[in-house]
Amino acid sequence: MSTITAEDRAAMTESVRRLLANQNTEADVRRTMETPQGYDDALWAKLVELGVTGLTIPTDYDGLGGGPVELERIMEEAGAALLSAPLFSGAMAAALIEASGDTAAMQRLLPGIAGGRTATVAFTGDAGTWTEDGVGVSAHAHGNHWALDGVASYVQHGANADLIIVVAKTHDGFALFEVSQGAEGLTAEVLPTFDHTQRLAKLSFAHVDATKLGTAGWEAVERMRDVALVGLAGEQAGGARRVLEFTTQYAKQRIQFGRAIGSFQAIKHMAADLLMESESAISAARAAAAALAENAADKDAAVALAAFACADAFSKVTADAVQMHGGIAFTWAHPAHLYLRRARADAQLFGAASMYRERYLKALGA
Amino acid sequence: MTLIPPPKAMSDDELRSEVRAWLKDNWKGLPVSQDQWTSSPERRAWMEKVVDARWAVNRWPVEWFGRGLSDPQAKIVEEEFRAARALGAGLDKSQLYAITALAFGTDVMKNHVLKGILTGNVNMCLLYSEPGAGSDLAGVRTRAVRDGDDFVVNGQKVWTSGAMTADYGMLIARTDWDVPKHNGISFFFLPMKQKGVEVRPLRQVTDESHFNEVFFTDARVPAEFLLGGLNNGWRVLQTALAYERSVMGDGARGPRRGDDKASTDMIALAREAGKLNDPLVRQDLAKVLSYRKLNALNNARAKADLATGTSSPIMSLGKLAMSRILHEEARLRTTLLGAGSMLEGDAHPRADDANFLALNAYFTSIGGGTDQIQRNIIGERVLGLPKEPEVDRTIPFKDVRAG
Ligand SMILES: Cc1cc2nc3c(=O)[nH]c(=O)nc-3n(C[C@H](O)[C@H](O)[C@H](O)COP(=O)(O)OP(=O)(O)OC[C@H]3O[C@@H](n4cnc5c(N)ncnc54)[C@H](O)[C@@H]3O)c2cc1C
Repeated sequence: MSTITAEDRAAMTESVRRLLANQNTEADVRRTMETPQGYDDALWAKLVELGVTGLTIPTDYDGLGGGPVELERIMEEAGAALLSAPLFSGAMAAALIEASGDTAAMQRLLPGIAGGRTATVAFTGDAGTWTEDGVGVSAHAHGNHWALDGVASYVQHGANADLIIVVAKTHDGFALFEVSQGAEGLTAEVLPTFDHTQRLAKLSFAHVDATKLGTAGWEAVERMRDVALVGLAGEQAGGARRVLEFTTQYAKQRIQFGRAIGSFQAIKHMAADLLMESESAISAARAAAAALAENAADKDAAVALAAFACADAFSKVTADAVQMHGGIAFTWAHPAHLYLRRARADAQLFGAASMYRERYLKALGA
Repeated sequence: MTLIPPPKAMSDDELRSEVRAWLKDNWKGLPVSQDQWTSSPERRAWMEKVVDARWAVNRWPVEWFGRGLSDPQAKIVEEEFRAARALGAGLDKSQLYAITALAFGTDVMKNHVLKGILTGNVNMCLLYSEPGAGSDLAGVRTRAVRDGDDFVVNGQKVWTSGAMTADYGMLIARTDWDVPKHNGISFFFLPMKQKGVEVRPLRQVTDESHFNEVFFTDARVPAEFLLGGLNNGWRVLQTALAYERSVMGDGARGPRRGDDKASTDMIALAREAGKLNDPLVRQDLAKVLSYRKLNALNNARAKADLATGTSSPIMSLGKLAMSRILHEEARLRTTLLGAGSMLEGDAHPRADDANFLALNAYFTSIGGGTDQIQRNIIGERVLGLPKEPEVDRTIPFKDVRAG
């Protein structure tokens, strides 16, 4: 449960927005997306300083004590600015460590993440379904020790994150494991991504020594995934809103046939439809965050709704925005395609929209 | 090789056996070429043969490489070429630059460029769009001023596909600023390889650089290379645009990585993805496949109508239909690949194709006139709906608002 007041939340959102406006400009995004690491160390240090790396970590473990609501809000800003830092993957790792119920692990790991230790979660294999049957790593006990074998893929910042929480199959169900980057037997292969601001890796495990976290299984993964979906929904909603902003701005300025193109109903109607999309995305993302924070009865429905509605909205807004700009948006130098690429990637992360539509119906009892 | 003398009139059967025999003697196939902007030496050599044997533009008059054939007879030739999988017949229906040159060019110009265009020895580009004039092409500000036997051109074009390799560009430029915008434009074949023309490539979202900015600084074009007469460029442009759009309605670039069945056949791709039995995918697949089929049926019907002398309203639908086809196919490809669609590069050809095609679909939905402009044209010119008022249609161009 969040211990952050609404005022503090607004202030924090504002400071993150300002930080990103200054240090994660389009030029910064283009510069860092060409680097292997994919994000800027100086910006990361600032995020640590602001405390957002510990946003959702309980105050007992040096975090800010926020929850899904805060995460969603900050992710709106991250999405709007196309942030590529391992902030989100760290929040996911923290959520999974918490969900493990292993207090010793929380004590050992969470303060580090809050302090800027980079972390991620590896929970799907080559199939990239993010479902139970998609897990590609298995764990075997040798006395007190556990060893991991197999493959985890589409791991965010997986080649770089210092701490990796791995979901693996054991002889009796799923379990969570802690592995450090560089562990013996672990190889990280960087995956070339269409969204150049995204960093994904394929991790191969060959008898990698791992520490087991608590006794939690797939239910912990689901709890973490709900948090992840809310964060992702925020990113999508924030991205969609920003794209619509600059597209509307352009439609007011660009003159053809002696008038602003926004005066043509074709463009005006597209813009109006996109406002419907992006505002619905914001509503869905925030409602899901609130439902999750309150552990509301309808939280499964709310999260599933946000998962597909925000994915669809971001995809549509970015795709139509290119069309509304005309030729200029077909150039690499224009930002529209950066968002389009992000939207295409986000629409795949943690499972396709169709899966969440199905879950939505299930949650509604259909 | 030189151009054969005009052949005598033939019956359908005589024509068929002649073209068949000629293909049998001459067509040996061509190596596959990846370059879409210039043709390979082998291809150019082949096209020389086709043009000299008068098979390239069968409907055209004998003075200009044709045989003066009727449409049904020309189709016989094209059928035989297709059956032999040989290239080069039917350019009188598809070679935009040659068609425009034939219809509007002076004899001097045609003697200069026509054969080269048909054989691929002369490369072309379209110098229409400018930073301030895209959808509103009548707003071009590049100027051409008469100077002796030449026109002198100053200004800038943008999004010019293929400008790097082009020998000539079809240029629209302003030649009169004191009349309303449509009335002061002239249409030229501008020589590209000259000092006054600077081409700067632009990086596209597809990470290719096919389109360019083109700057003119006192570039010269012979007055003989003016098409359709002074200040009559808008009419020439309308004809050229109609051809360009009909070509764009017939097809577009396919996958750039894959070259096997599943890279072009959506059913094979669904099967490969293990999703051919997914009822949702099946519904989607049927819908997407139908878009392509329906467009092909429309185009075939439009062509049949055209052959009987009636212009079909469905002619105008092709480009808009193709835009939907390309966007929707890319969407379905992405769905089929799932998480894999996040990747790119040599090791991920399917993802690369899906992503490339998702982006390149805008070539058709923006290039050659946007979908929105196509809808306006269909609404106004085909359905006869009232025209959108145009605030600057009747005022002298020098008073028009720019932005
Ligand atoms: C890949 C590619 C290749 C190209 N190749 C060439 C080339 O070789 N040569 C060349 O000359 N040009 C080329 N173009 C340019 C292309 O023709 C123009 O981009 C296109 O006509 C749109 O013009 P614009 O980019 O200026 O957009 P704008 O005209 O500024 O349009 C912006 C938006 O406003 C909308 N709009 C404008 N007017 C209206 C209206 N009246 N009603 C409703 N909506 C309207 C448009 O649909 C669009 O959504 C190419 C473009 C692309 C993307």
